[in-house]
Amino acid sequence: MANSGTQARAIPYLFSLPALLLILALLLLPMLISLGLSLTDYTLGAPDVEFVWFENFERIFTRSTYMKMLSATFWYVIIVVPGSIALGLGAALLINSLTVGKGFYRTVFFLPVMATLVAMAMVWEFMLHPTLGIVNEGLEGLCAVPGITAIGFFETGCADGFPHWLGERETALWVLCFIGIWQAVGFNMVLYMAGLTAIPRELYNAASVDGADSAWDRFRLVTWPMLGPTNVFVLTITAIRSFQAFDTVDMLTEGGPSKSTYVIMYAIFEKGVQQNLIGVGTAITVLFMAFVFLLTFLQRYLVERRVHYA
Amino acid sequence: MTSLNISNVSKSFGSARVLEDISLTINDGEFISLVGPSGCGKSTLLRIIAGLESQDAGTIALGERAIDGVRPSRRNLAMVFQSYALYPHLTVAQNIGVPLTMRQLSHWERLPVVGRFLPGAAAKRRIIRAAVEEAARSLDIGHLLDRKPGQLSGGQRQRVAVGRALVRQPEAFLLDEPLSNLDAKLRVHMRTEIAELHRTLGATFIYVTHDQAEAMTMSDRIAVMMHGRLLQVAPPHEVYSDPTNIAVAEFIGSPKINTFPAEVAGDGTAIVMGAALGRVQNGYRGAATIGVRPESLRIGQPPGRLAGTLRHVENLGNEYFLHVEVDGLPSRVVARVGHDHAPFSLGAPVGLDWPAGRAHVFDQAGGQIGRVNGAVSPFVGVVNG
Repeated sequence: MANSGTQARAIPYLFSLPALLLILALLLLPMLISLGLSLTDYTLGAPDVEFVWFENFERIFTRSTYMKMLSATFWYVIIVVPGSIALGLGAALLINSLTVGKGFYRTVFFLPVMATLVAMAMVWEFMLHPTLGIVNEGLEGLCAVPGITAIGFFETGCADGFPHWLGERETALWVLCFIGIWQAVGFNMVLYMAGLTAIPRELYNAASVDGADSAWDRFRLVTWPMLGPTNVFVLTITAIRSFQAFDTVDMLTEGGPSKSTYVIMYAIFEKGVQQNLIGVGTAITVLFMAFVFLLTFLQRYLVERRVHYA
Repeated sequence: MTSLNISNVSKSFGSARVLEDISLTINDGEFISLVGPSGCGKSTLLRIIAGLESQDAGTIALGERAIDGVRPSRRNLAMVFQSYALYPHLTVAQNIGVPLTMRQLSHWERLPVVGRFLPGAAAKRRIIRAAVEEAARSLDIGHLLDRKPGQLSGGQRQRVAVGRALVRQPEAFLLDEPLSNLDAKLRVHMRTEIAELHRTLGATFIYVTHDQAEAMTMSDRIAVMMHGRLLQVAPPHEVYSDPTNIAVAEFIGSPKINTFPAEVAGDGTAIVMGAALGRVQNGYRGAATIGVRPESLRIGQPPGRLAGTLRHVENLGNEYFLHVEVDGLPSRVVARVGHDHAPFSLGAPVGLDWPAGRAHVFDQAGGQIGRVNGAVSPFVGVVNG
C-alpha cells in the first residue's frame, strides 16, 4: 500500500516531465550556456577557450562603439515605443468611431505588419535614395513653390541638396525610427481596437449622464482607464519588439554611418555571427536579456497590479 | 420640481418599430414602473427620456420645458443602469462624486495632482466630499467609501450606483432593471429599500422592469408596454383587477390568469364550450375570451360551471396551486386555494366554479386577442348558475 502511495505521488511529476525537459533543453539551457560563454573569449573553431570573466562586459561599458550601441538602442526605443503607441491608439479611436469602412482602414493600417519587413525595407531604400528617390525628388519639386524657402529646411535643401537620409549620421537613426513606427502602428492599432470593443457601452452612457460632455472627458473618465490592461500589454510588446529592431538596420544602414544606428540586435549579429566573436556577442545578448527581463518584470509586478480591476 | 410629459414619441431601429406613438404624463414625485416583456421598448423609452437615444417623432418635456436635443447631462435626470456601470478604476467615493466633479470642477481643476493646487479647487472638493459622505450614509455604505467596485458584492455595487444618482439631487431618477442582477432574496429586500428611498426623497422615479412583481409592489402607477405600445397606465390594483387588455391580464399576476374561449350569444349569454355561464351586460356579441384569476376559482364537486380532472398539485406551504385539465382546453386551468382546503385525489373529476363578477371578458375584434379597445369587464350577472 505504501508503495502505491509513493507511486501516486510520483505520477504528476512524471506527467510534467516531458514539458520540464523541453523547457530545460530549449529555453533554460541555451540561456545558461550564453551566460557562461559571455565570460569567455570563445570563438567558433578556436582550439582553446579561456575564461576572461567580466572583461567582455567591461568592454561594453567602456568602449565608445558600445556606448554608441546603447545610445542608438535607447533613442530608437524611446522614440518608437511612445510614437507607435500614441499613433496606434489614435488610429484605433478614429477607426472605431467610423460607421462605414472600418474593415478597410483596419486592413490598410495592418498591411505593414503583415508584409515582410526586409522587402518593405528595400522599398524604403529606393524611396530614400538621395538623388533618385521619390522623397528627395518630391522635396525638390516643392522648391518651385514660391516662398517655401522661408522654411529653414527648404532654404538649405533647395540650395545645397536635401539630406542623404540613410547616409548621414544626423538623420539615419531618425529615419529608422520613422520606419519602425510605421511598421508597429498597425499592430498596436489592432490591439487597441480589441481593447476598445471590450469596454461596456453602459459606461459611456453613465459618463454622458454624469456630465462627461466632451470626447476628451469621456476618454479620461472611461476609455483610458478601461484600456489599462491593453496599455500594459502594448507597452511591453512594443518595447521588446523595438529592442529587437534588426531587419531595417541590416538592410538599410548596417549600423552606420559611424555607428549612429548600431542598435543592440545588430551589434549581437555583427560581433557574434559576422566577426565570430562569440564571447562579446553573448555578453551583449546577456545585456539584451537583462533589458527584456526588466521589462517583463515591470509589467508583471508594477503595472499590471494597478490596471486590473477585477 | 415638475412633471415629465411624453407626447407622441415614436422610435424605429431600421425597419423595426420599437415605440409607437407613446404618450404619458408622469407626475411630480410619482413612482411609475414601465413594465413589459423583453423587447417591448420599455428600456428604449427610458433611454430616450435620459437623452441617450433620440426619438424619431414626438416630444419629451420637463414641465413646460421641452428637453429634446438637450444633452443627457443637462437634463438633470439621474440614471441607474442594469449593470450598475460603475467606473472600476475609481473608489466608491470617487464613483459617487463623479456627477459633481464633472459639473462643478473645471477642466483644470480636475487634472490629477496639479488640479488640487488651483485656487478654490480644494474648497469645492471639500463640498463634494461632504455631499458624497451624506449620500453614502443614507445608503449605509459609508464604510465602503475607499474600496474599489471590484471589491464589493452585487448589493453593495447597486447601492453605489443609486448613490451616484442620489448625490446630484436630480429632478427624476431613471432606473433600468436595477435589481435584475441580484439574487432572489436580495431582490426582494432591495425592492423595499428603493420604495422607502422614494418615499424619503419624494423625487420622481421611473422604473423599468420585466418583473411584474417588482412593478406591483413598488409603484404608484404601472405602465404596461407591449410591442412598442402602452396598453394600460393605472395604479397596481387597477391593472390587476381591471385589465383593459387580455395581454395585460396575462402579463400581470402569477400564476397567469386562466383564459377560456367563449361566445357571447345574441341575448348576451356567455357560452364556454357549450355551457352557458352567464350574461354579459354589454352590447358586445360574438367571439370572446373569458379570463378568471386563479384565486377566483373554486374547486368543488362536478359538474360546477366547468368540469375537469385534477392532474397536478403544487404545494407552496401556505397555499396550493391546483392544475385541472378541462376537455377541449389546450392548457390546464390553475386554481389557487388556501391550505385549509379539503384533501385532493389526483385524477379525480372536479367542478370549477367562480363567484359572479370575477370573470373578465375580452373581445376578439378582428380575431386578434390583445387588440381590444377596452375590455368588456367585469363579467356581471350570473344566470343559469
